[in-house]
Amino acid sequence: MTTPMLEIRNLHARIEDREILKGVNLTIPAGEVHAVMGRNGSGKSTLSYVLAGKEDYEVTEGEVLLDGEDILALDPSERANTGLFLAFQYPIEIPGVATMTFLKAAMNAQRKAHGEAELSTPDFMRAVKDAGRDLHVDSDMLKRALNVGFSGGEKKRAEILQMALLKPKMCVLDETDSGLDIDALQVVSHGVNALRGPERSMLVITHYQRLLNHIVPDVVHVFSDGKIVESGPKELALELEAKGYAGFDEVAA
Amino acid sequence: MSMHVPVRIGPAEATLIAQLNERGDNPAAERLAASGLPTRKVESYHYTDLKMLLRAVPGLSHVEKALGEPALRVPGAHRISMTNDVPDLDGNEPTGVRVSTTKGSALSERDDVLVRINSALAVKTLKLELSGTIGTVLHIDRRTGGGAGHMNDSVHLFLADGGKATVIETFSGSDEAHVANHASYVALAKGAELTHVLLDLSAAGSTSFATAEYQIGADAKLRTVTIHVGSALSRINLFARFTGEGAHADLTGLNLATEGQHSDITLELLHAVPHCSSKPLFKQVARGRSKAVFQGKIVVARHAQKTDAKLMMQGLMLSDEAEILSKPELEIFADDVVCGHGSTVGALDEDSLFYLMSRGVPKAEAEAMLVRGFLKEVLDPIEDEELRTALEGVVERWLDSK
Repeated sequence: MTTPMLEIRNLHARIEDREILKGVNLTIPAGEVHAVMGRNGSGKSTLSYVLAGKEDYEVTEGEVLLDGEDILALDPSERANTGLFLAFQYPIEIPGVATMTFLKAAMNAQRKAHGEAELSTPDFMRAVKDAGRDLHVDSDMLKRALNVGFSGGEKKRAEILQMALLKPKMCVLDETDSGLDIDALQVVSHGVNALRGPERSMLVITHYQRLLNHIVPDVVHVFSDGKIVESGPKELALELEAKGYAGFDEVAA
Repeated sequence: MSMHVPVRIGPAEATLIAQLNERGDNPAAERLAASGLPTRKVESYHYTDLKMLLRAVPGLSHVEKALGEPALRVPGAHRISMTNDVPDLDGNEPTGVRVSTTKGSALSERDDVLVRINSALAVKTLKLELSGTIGTVLHIDRRTGGGAGHMNDSVHLFLADGGKATVIETFSGSDEAHVANHASYVALAKGAELTHVLLDLSAAGSTSFATAEYQIGADAKLRTVTIHVGSALSRINLFARFTGEGAHADLTGLNLATEGQHSDITLELLHAVPHCSSKPLFKQVARGRSKAVFQGKIVVARHAQKTDAKLMMQGLMLSDEAEILSKPELEIFADDVVCGHGSTVGALDEDSLFYLMSRGVPKAEAEAMLVRGFLKEVLDPIEDEELRTALEGVVERWLDSK
């Protein structure tokens, strides 16, 4: 049997005294795209933060294996260098840090972690330009401070641009559709789809079925009260849209 | 009825009194004997209790030759070095720069202990008169050389009508328990444009005091950048005064405090005439067990109508043991003005740190990126690229040296 790209076993996590993840089990084989759907407050975003290693959350039980390696003891940068990427629902605005400076630092940090030489400036510029073209990221956007004054669409495009440049094995997309109009959704989805491949898996977190028309998943999981309560083929998303989440709460009970 | 209680005179004060008497300034000596060094009860020294912090003062410095590399090299700049108040002049000053020396200190009389000491003890002043556009950056490399000494030096800088110049003064010296007390008097005539950087790179074991006085003439444009990096104990007085209408001043600074340092920058800005604008912006970063202090006071005189002044202090604490103290003040006597002040202090933003790290940037580098980003607002407006790059290098070395 081949090693799954991501394997989450009985994951429990809390913030302060409140338990939010209550035994998540999820296995994503290499090359597959899985969607996690659930209502607001069900713990979907917490799952993405716990995977990426945000400090506020305490894992009390369980394991997370990325390509067979336990990542829970790693800090966020080490997880990124292992091949995990989180596209944020709300990308953080960082005044004073130029987008280009940040992109170069991130790319070189990962190259360094992999024992590779730093990118030359022309190579870096070319990579950014190539990746930016399809995502409609122009040089004006790149000259600005990171995410500062970006529109909702620009922020999400910048996230996907980073994903394209960093070439992660495992992408976690947290509510990537939030704040996007139809046109922007198409650009972003196109960017994500272009990155699909046999060596790359994705976990798409959303509470609308809409996004899944554009990024068609292999498997859909229903998330409720801190765990996965139902899994099925992509049609499950349509069923969920028709029945609402309430129908699945009973399964959990 | 109040009783006069004589102050207890400590060893630092006793030495200072003897030095003032030796140089013949008996009134200054008597004044110091009567009141001692300022304690926290003196408002302008509230956070920098010199009586407690200044434990000893070494003997007066002797003449020394400048030796070794300057603490900072600004490519393309014309450097004038001055060691223990003796300038090393080669007669090759750029066009528009006239250099001379005058007797005594350059500072105006003022009720401040550091000003009184410098006025009494500075033997001579290096005087630079600038006219026209000075094509190269002038670097006044002020050093405290030799064995531990008490050193008072003085610089007078005058920029003539319509002149344009960029001047950096650096303080540095041998690694001894020096007490240096620097003075700079800077005057801008009508329509002059000046960028003036004061950079304290003194040795780790030294005490560095400085007073910079700015007289800003009509329609002049002044940008000051005051940076503290070196010296264990530091107090920089900035006294600025608008003397002609239509002038603008960006008074800015970076107060970087590291383990064991106490660094105080105190600004007093007087809008004495109408129609001037000012934007003081000071950033403080403290790490380890250190204390960074900024006091900023803007006074708007009764007839200084249409004054537009905005004072801002932002502090960044990088450790739990660090302290950042800030006291913004406005004293407004005019009734048709726009004035404001703000002061914020915080730690690095956890969400920003997480975001950068989630892209693979290691924690230390992510922190450095955020600090650099925080300080950028002060360094970015410096027009001369070589100078700006050199100052960015100073910040980089500070970040690397923790």
